[in-house]
Amino acid sequence: MLEQGFLKELGEKIEQGIAILRIYNDPEIYELERKRIFARAYIFVAHESEIPQPGDYVVRYVGDESYIVIRGEDGRIRALFNACRHRGMRLCRSEKGQAKTFLCPYHGWTYRNTGELIGVPAEKEAYGGRLDKAKWGLYEAPHVESYNGLIFVSLDPRAPSLKEYLGGMTWYLDLLTRRSSAGLEVIGAPQRWVVDVNWKLPAENFSSDAYHTLMTHRSLVQLGMAPSDPQFAMYGTHISAGNGHALGIGFIPEHLPLPPFLGYPEPVINALKRNYPSEAQVQVAEKMQFWHGTVFPNLSLLNAALPIPFLTFRVWRPMGPNRTEIWSWFLVERDAPEDFKRRSYETYVHTFGTSGVFEQDDVEIWRGITAMAGGPTAERFELNFQLGMHFQPDPTWPGPGTALPLDYAERNERVWLREWYRYLVSENPWQ
Amino acid sequence: MISPELEREVVTFLLREAELLDEGRYQEWLALLTEDVRYIVPVQVTGEVETEQEVSMNHLDEDRASLELRIRRLETPYAWAERPRSRTRHFLSNIRVYPGERADEVLVRSNLLLVRSRGDDSQAEWISGERQDLLRRVNGEWRLARRVVVLDHSVVPVRSLSMLL
Ligand code: FES
Ligand SMILES: [Fe+2]
Repeated sequence: MLEQGFLKELGEKIEQGIAILRIYNDPEIYELERKRIFARAYIFVAHESEIPQPGDYVVRYVGDESYIVIRGEDGRIRALFNACRHRGMRLCRSEKGQAKTFLCPYHGWTYRNTGELIGVPAEKEAYGGRLDKAKWGLYEAPHVESYNGLIFVSLDPRAPSLKEYLGGMTWYLDLLTRRSSAGLEVIGAPQRWVVDVNWKLPAENFSSDAYHTLMTHRSLVQLGMAPSDPQFAMYGTHISAGNGHALGIGFIPEHLPLPPFLGYPEPVINALKRNYPSEAQVQVAEKMQFWHGTVFPNLSLLNAALPIPFLTFRVWRPMGPNRTEIWSWFLVERDAPEDFKRRSYETYVHTFGTSGVFEQDDVEIWRGITAMAGGPTAERFELNFQLGMHFQPDPTWPGPGTALPLDYAERNERVWLREWYRYLVSENPWQ
Repeated sequence: MISPELEREVVTFLLREAELLDEGRYQEWLALLTEDVRYIVPVQVTGEVETEQEVSMNHLDEDRASLELRIRRLETPYAWAERPRSRTRHFLSNIRVYPGERADEVLVRSNLLLVRSRGDDSQAEWISGERQDLLRRVNGEWRLARRVVVLDHSVVPVRSLSMLL
């Protein structure tokens, strides 16, 4: 499919707010994505609170490759490719733990939690003292960097710093991750499940789509758990933060008596006023009703009150053109009142994640699109990404990037797709 | 001591409960729960030696009110994940009944295999685990007071837990 000038044409279409259905279920596009997006972009792997002590590790995926994300005994966080340097055996078969060393079950090469090769059975006899162990340590991802506790990995040695990569998005991430000086903590472990969905669909949805809420989540509208006012997304802003990162923020409509600061408990609100880097962020947070967004390519975040506020991170981990593993974390301010943590957790479990009454229906939609996208009709089938194309950015918006003065738009999806396209066709996306 | 009659009553209760779930008779199913029911499906994480139950994170963590809400949702015409409704089959086996802490309670462990098929997908989904139930006799009838489902999966192999286990 790709040979027929498809990509070039697609690029032109995206500029007009049109995409082709087939991109959501195509093996060749997936192959390109593996190499050109997942082996280059910064991919979220863990939150620092998941590996607080030296030796703590979690096994995570960068694209479809397994990495051990570990805090070494030197305190540094590394992402070590989970394969033994001898013959490639998968080294760590658990999902998380505590390790001083890793022992390969094939021939017994042993590595320190910093990646160094420290033990080789029969080293003297079998290698005649010619094995230079310093050269055969575990493969370490070239970039492992954190922002406010969020650990990202890039496999591209040419990649810029994480801070540069996140660009204007840091201002918006601060709203969710800097309320408390004690930071966020992941509660328990992420929920993981596998769905027959193309990974791009949820990534785009979280970056942009307030339009679906009334229909996809109509069962919750009926039960009074989602806004029934079709105007709800008019009170908001739709932000493209640069580098493909995008989000929407809903504001409290003037006629609704919703609590400021999403209804977070008093101590959290007091702390955020001290901890946010700017007064403008405090003002945005004060009238914020929800925050949905995606850090390009596949980390989405959601902060909403249903009616208790909760925060979830989710990674759409690609497993193929029509298969995605969803990772869904619940996080809360480490020093929030215990009773609040409990209610926030319950709200999250009931609404998002494996059994979430919102997410169940999202998955049904993404699955339905993926199922329609794999055939020859889909190769010619144009999709409409033109919602809100006529809106002009709001020049008074205090944050970075460009913001439309409402959240009913598909501008972020267009922005996301444009960035996706740029990665696919660029030899070097950093130029 | 668990008498054969008691054991039979418990098995009858569980089979009846599974029938109501598979037939989508949720209001009747709700009537089988105690007022203080807890319903928990913990996240499982593969540790270095054993699989560890994540005590602070669950796939479902429900009380009566939240289960009622889930069912009210399924009864709206817009619960897309279950519209049209999945075909489910709860297979229960290895049912073991143990005395509870109170005279009017029993602990029941059983193996669960749940098969779900939706729409015209030829591929059915399945999920398995152990149910750890606490049944209580209320006004002479057995009621479900607590259910913990210990899944055999760390990565849940179904598209969503829109059905009850
Ligand atoms: S493959 Fe690991 S020691 Fe040989
Ligand atoms: Fe949604």
